[in-house]
Amino acid sequence: MSGAIGLPELDPVIHAQARLRVVAALSALADGDRLAFPRLQGLLDMTAGNLSTHLRKLEEAGYVEVEKTHQGRTPATFVALTRRGRVAFEQYTEDLRALLGTGGEGG
Amino acid sequence: MTDEPLSPEASLALIVEEQEAARRRLDVDPGSFLIPWGLAWLVGYGLLFLRYGPDERVLVSMPQWLPLVTLYALLVAAGVVSGVIGYKASHGVAGESAERGVMYGWSWAVGFAGFGVISSRFEPHLPDAQFGLLMGSLPVLITAILYMSGGAVWRDRHQFGFGIWLSVINAAGVLAGPGWHSLAVSVLGGGGMLASAALRHSRRS
Repeated sequence: MSGAIGLPELDPVIHAQARLRVVAALSALADGDRLAFPRLQGLLDMTAGNLSTHLRKLEEAGYVEVEKTHQGRTPATFVALTRRGRVAFEQYTEDLRALLGTGGEGG
Repeated sequence: MTDEPLSPEASLALIVEEQEAARRRLDVDPGSFLIPWGLAWLVGYGLLFLRYGPDERVLVSMPQWLPLVTLYALLVAAGVVSGVIGYKASHGVAGESAERGVMYGWSWAVGFAGFGVISSRFEPHLPDAQFGLLMGSLPVLITAILYMSGGAVWRDRHQFGFGIWLSVINAAGVLAGPGWHSLAVSVLGGGGMLASAALRHSRRS
């Protein structure tokens, strides 16, 4: 193992506890699926305002896609991880394992 | 707001916990359908066998209408329970897998609606024993086909295999004749579903 200098730096966008929960929950969706905002809110048990704030940060980083549509006449908001977000999340998990020294073999 | 970064251990634990919680609520476990359908078949076809046994024997006396009414009521109840389970998991999910699930759910509803139409159309025209056999075997055929298609849609060999199993006992029961068919579907079909639900449960815990 390399010393402290060689250890990976964790992605600060994901490393905040609330955003980590958002990304982890969205990663459970099948590829190509989106989740309605109220359901995501229910899964995470966050307030709407709090969740919106974190989603905006994740959206700015290009990690999630927030789509506003209409179902009949009621507006609906759907959220999904982008490809980039999924990759970033996988990288983050890998970095955590590396920090703990439980990563896969090799570099 | 509790937003301080966690230690790596705590972060990993949080990821696992959050993913599992999300999957538990978003994914439909095919095993959860086994209990309502298994009970419906075990009890419904069990009553059919006891009232309309092989060679028109009455093994347990009960009103003529009771077995089929019970079977259909239990099948409707199982359908409603399945619909609720499917809806609870899938509402608010949009995209490919959601569309797949919704179309698959409708196949059950439309398939059984078609069965209802066929049964009411043929009832006055067939001798009782033949009508009973037709009405008993069609729901099993529909269910078997849908299990096989479900296996194809989600690449689930267990589901597919169970569909084959149901097709085989259904065909064998029909060939053996009234009475035997009910016994086979009750014990090997309904009982089989409950047994496989128990097996899944014990494997998970």
